[in-house]
Parts: sequence; C-alpha cells; structure tokens
Amino acid sequence: MSLGTATNGDDEVAAFEFIKDTDRLRLGRGVVGITAFLVVWWAGAQLTTPSYLLPGPVVTAVAFVELFVQTTPVALPLLGDVAIPTGLFKLGQSLLHYIPGLLLGGVGGIALGVSMGWSRRLDDYLTPIVRILRPIPPLAWVVFAILWFGIHHTGAAFIVFVGSLWINFYGAYSGVEGVSTDYTEVASSLGVETDWQMIRLVILPAAAPSVLTAFRTSIGRCWMIVVGAELFGAPGVGYEIINASNNLAVDTSVAYMLVISLVYVGMDVSFRTFERRVLAWR
Amino acid sequence: MALTDSTTESSHQRVTEAKIVVDGLSKRYDAHGGPVTALDDVNFQVGHGEFVCIVGPSGCGKTTLFRTIAGLESPTEGGIYVDDERVTDPGIDRGMVFQNYALFPWRTVRGNIRFGLDRPTCDCPNCEKRVQELINLVGLSGFEDAYPKELSGGMKQRVGIARALAVDPDVLLMDEPFGSLDPDTRDTLHAELLHIWRETSKTVLFVTHEVEEAVTLGDRVLVMAADPGRVSEVVDVSLDRPRQRTDIEFVEYVSEIRDSLGQ
Repeated sequence: MSLGTATNGDDEVAAFEFIKDTDRLRLGRGVVGITAFLVVWWAGAQLTTPSYLLPGPVVTAVAFVELFVQTTPVALPLLGDVAIPTGLFKLGQSLLHYIPGLLLGGVGGIALGVSMGWSRRLDDYLTPIVRILRPIPPLAWVVFAILWFGIHHTGAAFIVFVGSLWINFYGAYSGVEGVSTDYTEVASSLGVETDWQMIRLVILPAAAPSVLTAFRTSIGRCWMIVVGAELFGAPGVGYEIINASNNLAVDTSVAYMLVISLVYVGMDVSFRTFERRVLAWR
Repeated sequence: MALTDSTTESSHQRVTEAKIVVDGLSKRYDAHGGPVTALDDVNFQVGHGEFVCIVGPSGCGKTTLFRTIAGLESPTEGGIYVDDERVTDPGIDRGMVFQNYALFPWRTVRGNIRFGLDRPTCDCPNCEKRVQELINLVGLSGFEDAYPKELSGGMKQRVGIARALAVDPDVLLMDEPFGSLDPDTRDTLHAELLHIWRETSKTVLFVTHEVEEAVTLGDRVLVMAADPGRVSEVVDVSLDRPRQRTDIEFVEYVSEIRDSLGQ
C-alpha cells in the first residue's frame, strides 16, 4: 500500500535479519554484563563485614520475594479489610502522589509551554518569572509542601508536580518554538484563521515529538522526586527504603530500590511503545 | 490573454479583467548595513487564467515579491490587489506551493490534501470524493495512506500542489516548486502542471531562477533585476504548448531573457 512496502520489500527483510543478528549479539553481551555485575556484587558482599553494610544478591532476592509474600491489611472502600502484599501496598502509596503530581505537572507544563511558545506577549510577561522559578530544585519546595499541605500524599504530590511541571514546560516551549514557519504559513493559506485552530491543527502535532520526549523524561525524574519527598516522611516506597535501613534491614531497602527500578522500566517501555505508535510518521 | 505593456506604465487605475494587480510595490528592510531596498516600484498585472513566470537572479527580490503577494509580508509602499481587493493576509483565494514542499509530516498524503477542507468553517459534503479526485489528478492513487517521509521529492510536490488546489483557490502561487527535483522529474511535473492548469483554469504565478523553465511554462515571463529589486523586462512567449526546448524560437526566447539578465 505504501511506497516503503511496495518497493523496499526485499531490503526490509534483509534489514530485519541484520537487526536480529545485532540484537542477539547485544542480548548476549547484556547477559554477560549482568552476570559479571552479580558476581562482583556477590563477592563484595561476601568480603564485607558486618554483612548488613552490603547485602548480597541472594539475600536481596529473598527480601524482594518477602515483600510480596507478607501482607498488610488495608481498609478499602466497599471491599472492607483486604490483605495486600506489603510491597504492592507501599508502591500503591507512592503512586498516590506520583501519578497525580506527574499528570497535573504534565498537563500544566504543556499548557504553559505551548501558550508561552505561541504568544509572544505572554512570553514577554512570564519569561522573567520562569527564569527565577525553574532552577529551584523541586525538593526545595518541601518547605511549602509541609506548610500548606502537610507531608502526606498531597504535599508529596505537590513536590512531584513542581518537578513534572518544569520538565514538561520546557519540552513544550522549545517544541513550539521549533515549529517551522513554513507549516503555519501554509496553514494560513489554507484557511486557518484563529490561534486555537493553528495550535490544534499545526502547532501541537508539529511539537509532539518534543512534548512526548519531555513527558518521558518526567516519568523518570518524578520517581527521583518521589523518593526524595518520602525521605521527609510521606508514606511509600522511598520512606520504606529509609525506614528499613534504620532497622538495619538493608536487604529490604535494596529490595524496595529494585521495586522502583522495575516499575520505572515498565513505565518507560510502555511509554516508548506508545510514543513510537503516535509518532509513526517520523 | 497576455496584458502587454501593463508593466511599463505605472498603472494606478486598475484594469477590471486583471486577476492580480501589483501597484507601485516597494519593500524596504532594515538590515545590518543600513536599509535594503528589496523591491523598488514594481508594477504589473496578471490576467484571469494567465500563467506568468517570474525569473531573476538570487537577491532580485522575487521571493519577497512572492511572499508579499501571498500576504505573508506587507509592502512598504504600494499594494497588491486580487480581484480588486487589497491583499493584507494569506487567504484561501491564493494557494501556495513551496520549493521545500512544506508538507505536514504528521499527516498522510490524504491528510495533507484534506487539510484545507478540515476547517470547522468549511462545509464540504463531498470532501472524501474531492480528495480522491485530487489524488487522481496528481497521479498519486495507491499512496493515499503514505506519510511524506515515504515519498520521493516529485511525489511530495504533487501532494503540495493537490493540497493547494483542495480549497479551490483562483490563484496558484509557486515559489521555485521544482527547484530541488532532478531534471527528468521536473520535465514530467512541468507537463502535469500545465495539464492541471488547463483543467482547472487557475491563474498561476510561478517564481523560478531557471530561464528554460520559465519559457517552457509561462504565457509571459517577467524578468527581474537586483539592486534594487525591480521588473526589468516583460517577455510574451507566443509559442504553442507543449514547447520543445530545441525549437529555434524557444532558444531565441531563452537567449533574449538571458541577455536581459546579463547572463
């Protein structure tokens, strides 16, 4: 149907075989790398005394499994008391401030970035404010998070929001600034008259690659911020990392670190897949 | 059809048959080394359904002239009139085709051609049919769902032309549309453009720096000169189409224009 498949069928097959070969090679090297890492980790742990200073891979794996074997009773609306695996429960607590913060920051940042990238006047008014506020590390806002919301879900969500806001703001702003005037000129010759039409039909699709890359960045950065916020006492995985190590259960701390890592990898891979589908035209 | 001599006189009264009137048009910029006169008192008219080529060296202001007629830049002095209406903005009465195609890369061939028909204000009961007709007109059937990145340069420009035609503008403004294409593709597209022009009876203003291209296509050729940018000569090309580049008369037209350009 398309030119690519019509004329390049044979080339594509060849290309895929080539990719398969390099993929196999990369996979093999990856396995070697991770094995070497586990061996060094294990050896390091064996040589370390007292042993809690560096829990080895086996101890950590056991602690990881325990996170999902042990349960915590939770009073849920409608369902009443339900026993939930402790690891999932703590992860759920983190998600309660991670997801609202990430999404509100994303929507707010993209809206602000698109508006400022599009309107010269708004840009003039707001740029000085943005210049001052943007460099402030999100965790510095913990003061206001505590004062305004208390250090619970809302306070932690606020800190995540600040982090997500600026990453997404900058992605949208630079994306809109980079839209070629060719597109807007052609669009205006084809009857696009209002700002909103131009933003919807030209600016947003043209800036989408930059917007989506920024959002993907914020997915990772917000996990860092979540852990930071929880070190101040908000409940969740980050809090458990500190809590467990205070009780010298460092293996549990490392297990929670792995939970964050796995969740992040899962989200990143899903978002990349979504991104590739949306930006198939690139 | 050609309106001879209309360029030499400063035509302050507008002739009613003229589709486009360029009247005392000057354009000055402030550049680093002081003000630059990109266009100096340019006057000409283009008749309904006429195919006019503008040829000139780089820096003669032909792109500025194109952009001003398109409504993308405003004149310092004088004005542009289409159907006696002063041009102030881009509009759907003037379709634009660019050298770099400027296709929307996130839209398919069909999506690009539909763009002008998708406006909320556009009531278009038969959009699908019209888009398919345009796809057939420019010879792209089978590629409806391809993205621009999958197309060759010639195919991209066919999409660019179909997209401009979709909203049925009376005027087609083309800025070196075939400048990045190889000679064979360019010859094919010349023939196709002339075919489309006959089928749709559009008024075409075609900017190029290729003298032979101008003589191949135009009813008239406006020759521009630089410093300051101005129309230095107007050549009526009274040759039947399709024109052969090896014809004696064709060659004579080309050398006449080249002389005028000082090439």
